[in-house]
Amino acid sequence: MPTPLLLTPIPEDQLLRVLWDDDTLNDYPFAYLRGWCPCAVCQGHGGERHFIEVENPQLVSIDMVGNYAVNPTWDDGHETGIYTYVYLRSLGESQDSQHSQDDPEGTH
Amino acid sequence: MDEHNTPDIHTRITERLRQIQYPGSQRDIVTLGLVGKVQVQTDSAVVQIRASSIKEDVLRHLRGRITQELTTLPEIVHVHIHAFAAQAGEPHQGGQAGNQAVRERADIPGVRRILAVASGKGGVGKSTVAVNLTLALGSLGHKVGLLDADIYGPSVPLMMGTEATPRAGQDKKIYPVEKYGVSLISMGFFLDDQSPVIWRGPIVMSIVRQFLRDVIWSELDYLVVDLPPGTGDIALTLAQEVPLHGGVIVTTPQDVALLDVQRGISMFKQVNVPLLGVIENMSFYECPVCHEKEEIFGHGGAQKTGLKVLGQVPLVEEVRVGADAGKPVVVSAPDHPVAQEFFGIARQVVAAEEMQLPQSVH
Repeated sequence: MPTPLLLTPIPEDQLLRVLWDDDTLNDYPFAYLRGWCPCAVCQGHGGERHFIEVENPQLVSIDMVGNYAVNPTWDDGHETGIYTYVYLRSLGESQDSQHSQDDPEGTH
Repeated sequence: MDEHNTPDIHTRITERLRQIQYPGSQRDIVTLGLVGKVQVQTDSAVVQIRASSIKEDVLRHLRGRITQELTTLPEIVHVHIHAFAAQAGEPHQGGQAGNQAVRERADIPGVRRILAVASGKGGVGKSTVAVNLTLALGSLGHKVGLLDADIYGPSVPLMMGTEATPRAGQDKKIYPVEKYGVSLISMGFFLDDQSPVIWRGPIVMSIVRQFLRDVIWSELDYLVVDLPPGTGDIALTLAQEVPLHGGVIVTTPQDVALLDVQRGISMFKQVNVPLLGVIENMSFYECPVCHEKEEIFGHGGAQKTGLKVLGQVPLVEEVRVGADAGKPVVVSAPDHPVAQEFFGIARQVVAAEEMQLPQSVH
């Protein structure tokens, strides 16, 4: 399982930077990360994941969940998203490969 | 700020900082975004390290490296580093933006290792194994605790032969019950024999949380958690609430049990808990008269899981009688071969856990 070595929120650049144990480095703009929140409140049950448009979300804090996930708290109080390492990694990769489609400013 | 605060020295400071690799990575601390504001005041550099998930010991190492690198610059005599390591704490306690940005789930004070005993299905003797494994770990000289996380069907009090009520401590904390040198907590201590627990998931989860957080566990080498069967709320809560150091799966040899065990294995895999191995219970029946072994539930179930087989516990009367009488076989008959098997399992668990060699499943 990909495992983060280091998570660093960089408020100046509005992103979360993640260093993985295979030395991959991924940047997650806050709006992108918030938009792909996997929780049932955002995504409902079943069906395809969709992008949640949130204006200027600010990361308040991020909690490590057991050995397998992270749980961000946003400034609007939203805190139900548990991003497994596997999911977080896939978000990093899909952002790299098809940045235009997954751009938070895009039309999801 | 003064005349020394020029881009030139800042560029050279950044250059120096770029020489510092993050442990375990080829990347430097500037690239990783760890370095925040850098200021120069006369002969001092003030470096801010951003709040991150960095661990205390790594931070200590980096402080030394930063000071070392920056004092190679002729202008810099003193280096001040403002830094925040990851905070340990309860989740969701608010906090201001930029402050306390990354939090680790707090460990349980005093508890060195947490091991979960699980099975995909019920009736495989998981609690019996958990109780004897805990006692065997204790006999090897480790300080041990046993958390009965089977809220709906707690059986640890009966098997450990105690109906004591946990003592209340300060701040709504409770002391575990002590028996045979083991610190115990179980829903059974809070119920009459007859009263069923008819609760929905969220209540049950909060009980598990309380058992972890509000029990004064004192110093333990191992806290063994006896999970309820299956892959439900309780198992998931445990995996989310604390960093589990290892999982042990209990199974019987037959295929139907194995099918469910695979689900248990997948669960541990998904929550990234190292699987230490599998214990096959009711492995065979040895006739007390002729000592012929009979494999009632079939053969080779544990091997089929692909995990390390930590031990094979035979179906013997002493195990059942011991559990029913509140005198587990490891305590009542430590010389019995089945008790010896449990000691062997305990040694294997310790070895597997200490080697930090998670068994991979494919």
